Amino acid sequence: SGQELWSGKQDGMAHAHISAHLPPNIDPTKAPVAFGRRALPKLNEELQSPELLTQQRALMTLCDLVHDPQNVYQALELGVLDNLKTLLVHQDSTVRQKTTEILYIMTTHSVGRHGLIQNGVISALAELLDDPVDICRKNTHLVFEYMSKLTEGAVGILHAGLIPLLVSKLKNELEEIQELILGTLSNCLRVEASEALAADAVTVLKEKLTHSSVATRSKAAWAILEIGTHPEGKNEVCEEVIPVLVSLLEDTDPEVQASATGALMFAAIKPQGRFSALGAGAIPPLLKLAAEESGKAQLSAIKALTMLAELPKGRKTLLNHLDTFQQCLKDPSKAVKRAAKTAINVIQWKPY
Amino acid sequence: MRGALAPPRPRVAVETVPRCARLLRVPQSAPAAPAMPRPRDPEVAAVPAVLYSYCSLPRTLPARPKYRPPLDAAEPGKEPVRYSNLMYDPRVVRGNTYALEVVPVSTPPTPFEIQRQKEAWKRALARKRAKEQMRPKAPEPVEGREHVQVQTELYLEEISDRVIEVDVECQTDAFLDRPPSPFFVPAKTGKDVATQLAGELFDFDIEVKPILEVLIGKTVEQALLEVMEEEELAQLWAHQRAYAELRNAELAEVQRLEEQDRRYREEKERRRRQHMQMLKKQKETAEKIAAQAFAKHYLADLIPSVFNNLREGGFFYDPIERDIETEFLPWLMTEVEEELEGKVLARIMLDSLIRTVVENRLEAFSRQPPSDQPEAPAEEPQPPEEPQAAEEPQPTEEPHPPDEPKPRDAEPQMAGETDAADQPVTEKEETDQPVTEQQSSQRMSFQLELE
Repeated sequence: SGQELWSGKQDGMAHAHISAHLPPNIDPTKAPVAFGRRALPKLNEELQSPELLTQQRALMTLCDLVHDPQNVYQALELGVLDNLKTLLVHQDSTVRQKTTEILYIMTTHSVGRHGLIQNGVISALAELLDDPVDICRKNTHLVFEYMSKLTEGAVGILHAGLIPLLVSKLKNELEEIQELILGTLSNCLRVEASEALAADAVTVLKEKLTHSSVATRSKAAWAILEIGTHPEGKNEVCEEVIPVLVSLLEDTDPEVQASATGALMFAAIKPQGRFSALGAGAIPPLLKLAAEESGKAQLSAIKALTMLAELPKGRKTLLNHLDTFQQCLKDPSKAVKRAAKTAINVIQWKPY
Repeated sequence: MRGALAPPRPRVAVETVPRCARLLRVPQSAPAAPAMPRPRDPEVAAVPAVLYSYCSLPRTLPARPKYRPPLDAAEPGKEPVRYSNLMYDPRVVRGNTYALEVVPVSTPPTPFEIQRQKEAWKRALARKRAKEQMRPKAPEPVEGREHVQVQTELYLEEISDRVIEVDVECQTDAFLDRPPSPFFVPAKTGKDVATQLAGELFDFDIEVKPILEVLIGKTVEQALLEVMEEEELAQLWAHQRAYAELRNAELAEVQRLEEQDRRYREEKERRRRQHMQMLKKQKETAEKIAAQAFAKHYLADLIPSVFNNLREGGFFYDPIERDIETEFLPWLMTEVEEELEGKVLARIMLDSLIRTVVENRLEAFSRQPPSDQPEAPAEEPQPPEEPQAAEEPQPTEEPHPPDEPKPRDAEPQMAGETDAADQPVTEKEETDQPVTEQQSSQRMSFQLELE
């Protein structure tokens, strides 16, 4: 029953004249999108405009548009990347942040990844690794991580000589970013390990293995796995890291267990690795992991046990546990069946 | 020839008939009758001596086949010639032979005939023209136009169900950017009037619904899109991770097998090397044993052979024998040598003495040739001993300068002998040595000679 005075402009009825305010659901921070095919070229032009506001608005719109891979393709054709590269070193942080975000969204599409490699964006992004703004750095590392999932991208990162930088960043960056760096390193290490080993990555990774965050631990273990696929990496891993990995086998998180098992699997290929793994008492936890059905670590655990079974002492111990492997023979996954069969063969091998 | 109605008589028929008639006529009229359509018989040339001659020799003609041979019939391949019965040959002239049908003679037509032919020809032409005129014709071309004969081959069109389609594209021009709308506020018209309502004009809850729906719907839709995107990414990475695990497992297996292989190979290599070394050592030992046995055998009779060789080499000697050999005998030999040398010297001396004597005598005799001559031959036959004995005391003086006239007696005696002993004399003269030794040696040598 409040009888209030309504001023002329505040009743709900529509007016006849065009309001001075903009319509309510227009985002003033974004540039309006032109129709059809004209959208991206117009935005491209706006990116080059000398006015900061136009640039920012164009970047915001571009950010939204780039979620669609067709727009990504068109943008690459138009050469938007060149403008974006120039904007990467802009002094305004919003511009930088949005540019890196656009690049990161582009890398989630395959077209974008290839386009970025072709346009050599990786080396341009290297300058942003020391950016004061966190979000820019995070986006940069996101770009690197997604790019490194592609072999050509990993090669590009290697060629740009970023590995030593990344390893050094690993020591003192934010936690989130550390995870991203670990991911990038893992993927690059799959291709080549010499640079990382030269930058003393194993020590740094060993530290991370005992980090408090689950994701960090699992990613660090995965990075060590990738180092272990290379022969020179195996030597380094065998020397120091195996006991820590064995302790990680009993970690609470299955991801960590899986990564640690994988790392052990590769480390146990070399004889000294086997001996140290056996000495660190790796067999019981591995048996436990191999026994759990459809666990992430099952396959790796069976393989790691196969490696350890090449030693006479390992064989002796494992001969008592053949039933675990028999159980695995019935697993629906073909790979597990094959691995179990090989393991049984190796365990039952006699020198005569 | 004559008419279309008459049965066609091939001209050949004319040939086949033995032309008895001609036979009779031919000898009389030399050239062939012009009635003959084709005078082709060279034999027609009159040979009155010959009884008759055929225009053409009678021959049986083969049957005329009913049907024409096919075009590709093999001409050379002769089929068996079939002869037909003359009676049933269609080519034979039938009918009365008493009234021979004669081919009408084609004489040059008379003008009358020519005219008639021309008229007939004109009539035929007129008839033809009339016939043509009665045929319906196309209408004449309109004025100004011309009818032209045209073949429509070029303009033929194929009739089909499919319609010919051509794709044509058309594109609008690129859009021009819409210029920003000018700020426009229309002029105010009408009067402002205000009203006040007692209650509410609208039910807020109902009115707000569509707006809210749109707002929330759009928001949720946006959120869903984002979540979907992230989920898609997460799925991709999970898929990748699973694949990476499989790949890692396989890679580990490969590396394990490589490692195993390397170990086996190294082990094999080591064992092989060990075995080789063992074999080598065995071989060495065997060789050493063999060498030792051989050496033993070889050196078995070393000592006896060594001693043999030494003995043969004269390392074991009897000292007395040696002494005699090394000292006594050389001394003896030297002494003997000296003796002999002395003797030799004595002889030489003697020879020289004799020579000088003979030379002196020669001189002497040559200076006193008549007085000495009877002496010379008287003394010559004496045995050589006497002069030698006689001269014994004289040679003692000979060593002195031989100019003395004393030995002139001996000279001519010596003359004959000195020729033979010339040379030893010269030698003796040269060896004029101290007297004492020579004297003793000469004595010895003389003694020896005499003996």
